[in-house]
Amino acid sequence: MFTIGRLASLAGVSNDALRYYEQEGLIKPAGRSPAGYRLYDKDSARRIRFIKQAQNCGFTLAEIRELLVLRGRDKACCGDVRSRAIEKKLRIENKIRAMKAMSKALDQLIAECASESRPVKECTIIAALERASVSTPVQ
Amino acid sequence: MLYTPGCPECIAAHAKLRSAAQEAVKDLEWREVNVLDHLDHAVELGVMTLPSIVVDGELVFTAMPTAAQLRDALIKRTRGRT
Repeated sequence: MFTIGRLASLAGVSNDALRYYEQEGLIKPAGRSPAGYRLYDKDSARRIRFIKQAQNCGFTLAEIRELLVLRGRDKACCGDVRSRAIEKKLRIENKIRAMKAMSKALDQLIAECASESRPVKECTIIAALERASVSTPVQ
Repeated sequence: MLYTPGCPECIAAHAKLRSAAQEAVKDLEWREVNVLDHLDHAVELGVMTLPSIVVDGELVFTAMPTAAQLRDALIKRTRGRT
């Protein structure tokens, strides 16, 4: 069994992060020491590795909670997990698309601002933003 | 329908939806598209959950509808056109 500090150093996360994971229902101490301190088992260490890997792939803690539930469900199949990974990829691709549109809108503003030495009152970027006629990104 | 190949249960549900759609609209062309084969198009349509159902280029269902929901939506669209 590990104390919170030992588990945190093993997993490379902070004690606060572990408490937050617990609050979010992602991990649970296996027990308490006689003095009342949280004690964790090897499964907690495995779950934290899983959480960190999933976070690296862009999954939110709520989505990771679902993945952990699937991981422990006998009836779940690989297809269930794969679908979630594909949905995550779709959301990421969608964000990339929206950000590209934002970047393009900024390109337009930057190109329209011909003179950097003009006073701010004559700034074409501010004027364009006030007109709100800049093409809005794809949602 | 944009989907990802998954459980046999999902495939059974697809078959039910396909028959409901074909019963609702005469000469309906039903396509089941693996989202990974058409990812860019799926993103363009705004698909973020699976399965999603696109009708005439418009994203109509972002989750698996019941056969009745799909039938109703298709009938409503067909009536709107006439």
